[in-house]
Amino acid sequence: MTMSHLAPLPFGFEDLAPFVEKWARPTETGRNAIRWSASAEEFADFYATFMPRLASALERLDGVALDAMNEGEKTLFLLTAAFAEAAPHHELYGGSAEVPFSFAARRFVPAHGDTPSSAKAMR
Amino acid sequence: MNHPSEPPREAGRPLSHLDRSVAQIRSELGIDPVSVDGIRDPRIYALEQEKIFRRTWLKVATTSELPETGDYKVKELPVVDTSLLVVRGKDGKVRAFHNVCTHRGNKVVPNADFETLGRARAGVVTCRFHGWVFGTDGPLRSVPLEEAFGTLDKACLGLREINCEVWQGFVFVNLAEEPEQTLADYLGDFGTLFAGYPYEEASTIFRYSTVLECNWKVALYAFSEGYHVPTIHAGSLPGFRGIEHADFKLIGPHASSTIYGAGMDTAASTAQFAGVLHASEHHGPRPDLLPPGINPTRRPDFQFELPNIFPNFIIHLASGCGYPGMAYFTHQFWPLDHGRTLWEGINYFRPARTAAERVAQFHVNALHRNAWLEDTATMEDSFVGIRSGAIDSMQLMDQEFLIRHAMRVQQSYLAA
Ligand code: FES
Ligand SMILES: [Fe+2]
Repeated sequence: MTMSHLAPLPFGFEDLAPFVEKWARPTETGRNAIRWSASAEEFADFYATFMPRLASALERLDGVALDAMNEGEKTLFLLTAAFAEAAPHHELYGGSAEVPFSFAARRFVPAHGDTPSSAKAMR
Repeated sequence: MNHPSEPPREAGRPLSHLDRSVAQIRSELGIDPVSVDGIRDPRIYALEQEKIFRRTWLKVATTSELPETGDYKVKELPVVDTSLLVVRGKDGKVRAFHNVCTHRGNKVVPNADFETLGRARAGVVTCRFHGWVFGTDGPLRSVPLEEAFGTLDKACLGLREINCEVWQGFVFVNLAEEPEQTLADYLGDFGTLFAGYPYEEASTIFRYSTVLECNWKVALYAFSEGYHVPTIHAGSLPGFRGIEHADFKLIGPHASSTIYGAGMDTAASTAQFAGVLHASEHHGPRPDLLPPGINPTRRPDFQFELPNIFPNFIIHLASGCGYPGMAYFTHQFWPLDHGRTLWEGINYFRPARTAAERVAQFHVNALHRNAWLEDTATMEDSFVGIRSGAIDSMQLMDQEFLIRHAMRVQQSYLAA
């Protein structure tokens, strides 16, 4: 599945564009699949580029209501979501795609479905 | 006795009799090793089904999962051989029924998994086998070719109701024909102590489940203590320090304690994501929202309140003080048979308003989910070890008192 249908990142975030194709996914399940297949180098690359831009990304996303993002902001949102889940693998888990000394992550079922938020998402 | 009820508010009633020191819990619960027989003996599991799970109040849903008329949840409870239908009727009341058609026993609402949410249209559910129609408040409404039955006492053929009561938005059922206690009496001082927190406002949930190859109590006990945090969570919660279990509470069959602590080393990304949530009045630490008996001196290093609600439910109440932005999280441990357990872990946040708040919640949720992966890594191994016969007892330290207490309560139920 490619993300080529995603709109370009907002003005000022073009430097993050090379990471969209690999990392941005609309669902937790999709983000999991990418993370579980990433290498230590890929985590390190993503981290090295995104971490210095995290504050700007959060500032931009803090200025927009969750249900009012334009298409470019949605792309930035999904890339930041991917980083939110990927960063611990670089910072805490030594670049490992698995949490060290852990239960098989694939056996954990995210029963909230594509998005959190109680009942509706599970229908 | 099916009335969604708040527990009696006994404002100002002192609950300080619940707080105990280490010396007190040692003298009340003892310090001896405890037997592992309750975990490894399948005959004890059979007794637990009858004497614990068919007698006690079991949390099965939250009212926020069923916000609208007709919303339902089908929940499979193999421990009591029951498929449960919890549904909000036209009158707004949440009721529980056996999900069993009174014609020939088919499930009225088919389900795909251990739990399924849905909405009944027009206030009725229809069995797909032969089309019997039941109101969401229970009565049998219509039967195709009714005259062909010769006689059919439709008034007696409604869905079979199960005792159901609500406390603070948590829906409980009791499978006994006549429960020995109301839910309010069963929860007792626990219900008073924990009442008043705005649980329902935290309606953004991340729910995980997995089937563990272990006895349900292995999983329950693993989530009942903080002794393991510095070791098993060295990966996801590095540098966790200053952990202090205090305010030990024994509350009838339930028990709790408070975890205070100086926190942990915060990774650079976590600091930024947490900053988004901490800066918001909506998501930041809200010790003021805690019920007055929890963290009564309002210590700033409060992390969690860690209660076990007998027999299989845990509400870790944090009010944003522990994991950034997280109001509370719950665990539940559903036996599937003696050696298999459905574990459910749910993180509850208040709804994100901005896109940044939502990605920050993704980060906090991911850290906590990862910590749960560390927790669950021990459970199947512990069960293999206990079943091997290599050890006959477990050694329990002070911070593991909830385990000691739960075992005592289990034994008293099994002896009754
Ligand atoms: S079993 Fe339900 S209609 Fe026949
Ligand atoms: Fe843990």
